Amino acid sequence: MALTVSLALRFATRKLHRILKARRRIQTSMRAIQVKQPGGPESMELVELPVPEPKASEAVVKLAASGVNFIDVYNREGRYKVALPFVLGQEGAGTVTAVGADVKSVKKGDRVAWASVLGSYAEYAAVPAGRLVPVPAGVTDQQAAAAMLQGMTAHYLSHDTFPLKRGQTALVHAAAGGVGLLLTQMAHNIGARVIATVSTEEKAKLAQEAGADEIILYTQQDFEAETRRLTGGKGVDVVYDSVGKTTFEKGLNVLRPRGMMVLYGGSSGAVPPFDLIALSQKGSLFVTRPTLGHYTLTREELVARSGAVFGMMAAGKLKLRIEHTYPLAEAQRAHGELEGRKTTGKLLLIP
Amino acid sequence: MKAIRVERTGGPEVMHLAELPTPQPKPGEALIRVSIAGVNSIDGNFRDGSFRTLLPFIPGQEGVGVVEVVGSRAKLVKTGDRVAWSGTLGSYSEYVAVPEDRLVPVPNAINDEQATAAMVHGLTAHYLANDAHKLKAGETALVHAAAGGVGLLLVQLAHAIGARVIGTVSSDEKARLAREAGADELIVYTRQDFEPEVQRLTGGKGVDVVYDGVGKATFEKNLNVMRLRGLLVLYGMSSGAVPPVDPAKLSEKGSLYMARTTLAHFTATREELLARTSDLFGMIADGKLKLRIAKKYPLAEAAQAHRDMEAHRLAGKLLLVV
Repeated sequence: MALTVSLALRFATRKLHRILKARRRIQTSMRAIQVKQPGGPESMELVELPVPEPKASEAVVKLAASGVNFIDVYNREGRYKVALPFVLGQEGAGTVTAVGADVKSVKKGDRVAWASVLGSYAEYAAVPAGRLVPVPAGVTDQQAAAAMLQGMTAHYLSHDTFPLKRGQTALVHAAAGGVGLLLTQMAHNIGARVIATVSTEEKAKLAQEAGADEIILYTQQDFEAETRRLTGGKGVDVVYDSVGKTTFEKGLNVLRPRGMMVLYGGSSGAVPPFDLIALSQKGSLFVTRPTLGHYTLTREELVARSGAVFGMMAAGKLKLRIEHTYPLAEAQRAHGELEGRKTTGKLLLIP
Repeated sequence: MKAIRVERTGGPEVMHLAELPTPQPKPGEALIRVSIAGVNSIDGNFRDGSFRTLLPFIPGQEGVGVVEVVGSRAKLVKTGDRVAWSGTLGSYSEYVAVPEDRLVPVPNAINDEQATAAMVHGLTAHYLANDAHKLKAGETALVHAAAGGVGLLLVQLAHAIGARVIGTVSSDEKARLAREAGADELIVYTRQDFEPEVQRLTGGKGVDVVYDGVGKATFEKNLNVMRLRGLLVLYGMSSGAVPPVDPAKLSEKGSLYMARTTLAHFTATREELLARTSDLFGMIADGKLKLRIAKKYPLAEAAQAHRDMEAHRLAGKLLLVV
């Protein structure tokens, strides 16, 4: 009797495995988060879509994790125009399941990550193979997905836009934010002095742990006066500013002569047009407004940059705070929490 | 003493020769007997009121001369020293009092005309090529007004570094001068639109750096002729001030950099001032940097010098002989 049950169970299990395997092999539909009309979080719908087929130069990746970013909110709201309907998400990591005819840089089974290609809020995504970077063994899929946009941004800011040197001083605004925490760690590792602005004691603690030398709670202290004091009136070599409207002018006042303002975002609103004469009056200042796309334009640069970031992570020199993972179906909740600014670390969707 | 005085701001006619008391050097200053004063576009900015200073005033930012007497506590120079300076108003005059730490010694190999021409224009070209952007061999620079006072020197410095120089000029005569200075490509902007021409000359890639002393007239197009992550160095505004700039433009056009520079910030310490001038004087003495003196005027004809400067007729340095 026991034997019969056991055999029957084994038979049933095998059958189930066969069915599952077959389903895996021939899975033709997938779940994805689609936007049909731009709007609030409710405009994101969980839908069934066909698994994409790779075009000649594309690879299809089965996603293990998809990053949640502010740019997704802007796409969802229609602030950045995208042809409707579309699958959200610009960042992910996973395993290659199929490649197009012309693809040579990756093959089935490779662990890869990417950024800046729409469609990562899904079980599968078709991505131009040239945008896929290899993920080394020391980095998990979730870490890889979390590092692409913010890690590469922190990297180009500290290594290329203004290549920080040991002994220089950097002012990092929103130092406990996604890019801020990574930028602070990289600047600290280079040997630069980091003055960080944050909004709360809790964020101050995070920035301190990341290696910030000085913390300014901008809700209690004027960062201009405080930065002047902390640099003995000399000013900082570089300001990294993703806040924009509310910080730009004062940022120019805390730069040393010939210092550089790196404006890389506008979380408080866009900086209005400014008079260039201010740059000369305040000390022959330099201003740049960089975007990641221009710092990962060639495949060499993309692979080198992601490789450098992954290398830091694998060596334990760059810690990513994955604050929360959500099932794909809970994308609305993830956006709600991101927009509510309740979060300090990275949010991921797990398909 | 005789000096040019401006009592109210305006056109060149507001400058006239006056008899004024010789200044006394304050502590830390030296009184210089001026032999040559240089004419610069900034003098026009002060004269017409676009840069403000207290009225009345004596124009002129640079010159060369001999120390007549030093104020108390002055230690860096002594009576009889041959010196040059820039960045101090009051040089269109027989005598001027200058803070002694702004005075640089002039070696024997450099004559008065060369020394004067090396100051504002030479120092500006020097910081542009070496510090505002550290030009490297193989890079491409667009130099506007390449036959102008700064332009002709900047072209030579950039060429000596091994950079490719694309110059813009207004006439064939100026094109010839810029080519002699080492420009690889010339665009006569009165006949050709520099934007498509630079695009063509760089195979659509754009230049690494734009050096622009022109301002308003060239600004927008500059943003279209730079490579990704290229730098625009605005060091003057001979065509007028650039209207306020939307920073979003810099990202749209390729994560560009922009700087608005002035000489004072590149000669702020005495070490830097001396290092820069001695580098320039060395190149002049070795014949590696040629200074073109466009015209010399008696002090009393300062107004005519300004008219000629503002008409952009002459290529090279205008000097007032005191």
